[in-house]
Amino acid sequence: MSHHLFLLSPSDTPIYNLTHYSTKLPQPTSSSLSSNLPTWSTSAFAGTLTALSGASSATQSHHVQGGAVRMGGGQDRHVIQMIANASLDVIEDVMRKESAMYLKSVDKFNEWTVSAFVTPGNMKFILLHETKNDDGIRSFFHDVWELYLKTMLNPFHTAHSPIRSIVFDTRVRASAKKYL
Amino acid sequence: MATTSKQYKAIGEDLWKSRTDKINSELFSLTYGALVVQLIQDYEDYAVVNKQLEKMGYNIGTRLIEDFLARSSLGRCSDFREVGEVAAKVGFKSFLNITPTVTHSGVPPPSARPTSTVQQSGVPGSSFILTLDENPLAEFVELPDEALEGGLWFSNVLCGVLRGALEMVQMQVQVEFLSDVLRGDESTEIRVTLLKYLEEEVPVGDD
Repeated sequence: MSHHLFLLSPSDTPIYNLTHYSTKLPQPTSSSLSSNLPTWSTSAFAGTLTALSGASSATQSHHVQGGAVRMGGGQDRHVIQMIANASLDVIEDVMRKESAMYLKSVDKFNEWTVSAFVTPGNMKFILLHETKNDDGIRSFFHDVWELYLKTMLNPFHTAHSPIRSIVFDTRVRASAKKYL
Repeated sequence: MATTSKQYKAIGEDLWKSRTDKINSELFSLTYGALVVQLIQDYEDYAVVNKQLEKMGYNIGTRLIEDFLARSSLGRCSDFREVGEVAAKVGFKSFLNITPTVTHSGVPPPSARPTSTVQQSGVPGSSFILTLDENPLAEFVELPDEALEGGLWFSNVLCGVLRGALEMVQMQVQVEFLSDVLRGDESTEIRVTLLKYLEEEVPVGDD
């Protein structure tokens, strides 16, 4: 079971992302803390189309664009990012109706469910996951929210810029291990 | 007039409690953090920022000492050791609500001048180290790598405050940071070294 977390600013710029493998899997936890997430490059779509039609976690032999870290699991990075991106529309729809912060699962794509959490400052936390785990995910989102708040209070952090702090990363991972 | 350490603690506690205008600590930390970040952006040289923070602290300290002496109504410290105790237990407590631990070391340099003319006893060269276990100025702060490499002492304003305050009571001191948890060290330590007493200073005024 792997989980992908994306933190997006109100202007939908990526602030942070994390890929977390549940400890039950033999693969080591790998993260892709990219300081600049590649913009959705069009040349990747040829690859993603095949992935979409195949649509499972089989190892694909696409070339991965430089910049994105190759993951050990074989899931195509671009599919993940595309799913996350696509879910933004749905999130905004739901946001208008519901005022709660934790929007449970807003979208589903083959085996991936997208859960979202919207902070009062309009930061969006998006989690792609395969299994259903509402309570754990809610606790995880709250944890990430608190860690995010602490990062924002750091005077050296510019608002809505990518979070590169190792401390933040470590703590998010620890929280992911705990709840996911 | 020998006040024990416990009495100092009690005085400090009282002063803190009787202070009516306190501010929110988060506001304080955020304001100071914004100040430091702005200085960094303006000067872009961490050594210069350190100096500026110390200068600012010096200005604060020269004024703060009056407020402190008025409220605490403590008399002159008999020796430099007592200065350390009072600064830590009463001074820091009444202004920041923290009580750093004091470690004294009265090692004079070999070429110490005779101190017979000095009223207070305390050999120039003696020092004490204040160990802060919590630092309200640096809540939530994480130094970026450039600041770590550049040698920024985030709370350097405290050094200036101590230097300014002690200079107003006729002590010339050198105050510097030894370590800082923000930089990854074990603890935050400030060393205050007595350089000389300023007895010779004649107050500027008409005779």
